[in-house]
Amino acid sequence: MTDEKALIRQLQDPSTKDAAFTRLVREYQEPLYWQIRRMVLSHDDADDVLQNTFIKAWSAIDSFRQESRLQTWLFRIAINESLNHLTKKKQNLSLDMPEGSVADMLEGDSYFDGDEVQRQFQEAISTLPDKQRTVFNLKYFEEMKYEDMSDMLGTSIGALKASYHHAVKKIFDYFENLD
Amino acid sequence: MNKNNYNTEELEARLLSRFDRENHFTVPEGYFEKLGGRVRDRIARKKRRKMLWRWAAAALLAGCVAGGGILFESKMNNQIAETEDTQYIEDALDYSMIDNMSIASYLTEAE
Repeated sequence: MTDEKALIRQLQDPSTKDAAFTRLVREYQEPLYWQIRRMVLSHDDADDVLQNTFIKAWSAIDSFRQESRLQTWLFRIAINESLNHLTKKKQNLSLDMPEGSVADMLEGDSYFDGDEVQRQFQEAISTLPDKQRTVFNLKYFEEMKYEDMSDMLGTSIGALKASYHHAVKKIFDYFENLD
Repeated sequence: MNKNNYNTEELEARLLSRFDRENHFTVPEGYFEKLGGRVRDRIARKKRRKMLWRWAAAALLAGCVAGGGILFESKMNNQIAETEDTQYIEDALDYSMIDNMSIASYLTEAE
């Protein structure tokens, strides 16, 4: 935490900002990338969203008041950027042509090494509403505590628990209907 | 037990028995090594664009100030010219008040 405070101080000092930001990118790029990737699925989209997340963090770091941890703040930016990206993508797709299935998309993705079962699992997750999907990914894959999730998403623990329950139930039902 | 009565933990356990938590997404080779440089490049471009906007805004402000100055000066000159024009018109009006007899006598005296 002390180390984090030192990093924030350096990030908010114009003379040390560049070097500190390089350190921040190195430290947080992987956890942020995987969180974003689970949301947007394709590597190219995840790359765009991750870069936008860092650019936003760079622009807003001076106004970061340390009311939350740096990691929580970065994840919050990443989630908002991912959700904005998905909304824009849906709008563009509805204008162009109907969206293909996620399982088909992942089958042709050279940066996804899961089998048919995993592709179906991602297909089921993609049927969840965006915010429910965010909660599901954070809890199921990252095993994040509800308290941390609550700080990150600005949602009450009770609402998050309800959201996760609905999400696992929907995915469970999805496969029950398939079987 | 009716599947509709499963609680969250039971539903999650059933999903986990079928779908592990393993990450099946991958990235191109060297992606994370190069990312920092690409982000730095974008920030540098953003800084340059910001600087350019500042210069453009400063140039626009300078242009407005210079334009305003020129406009003010031109208005002042017009006012001076207008004053001169007014004097000329008043003289002309005075001359036009002279009747034909006076002009004739003026010309006779001159001869």
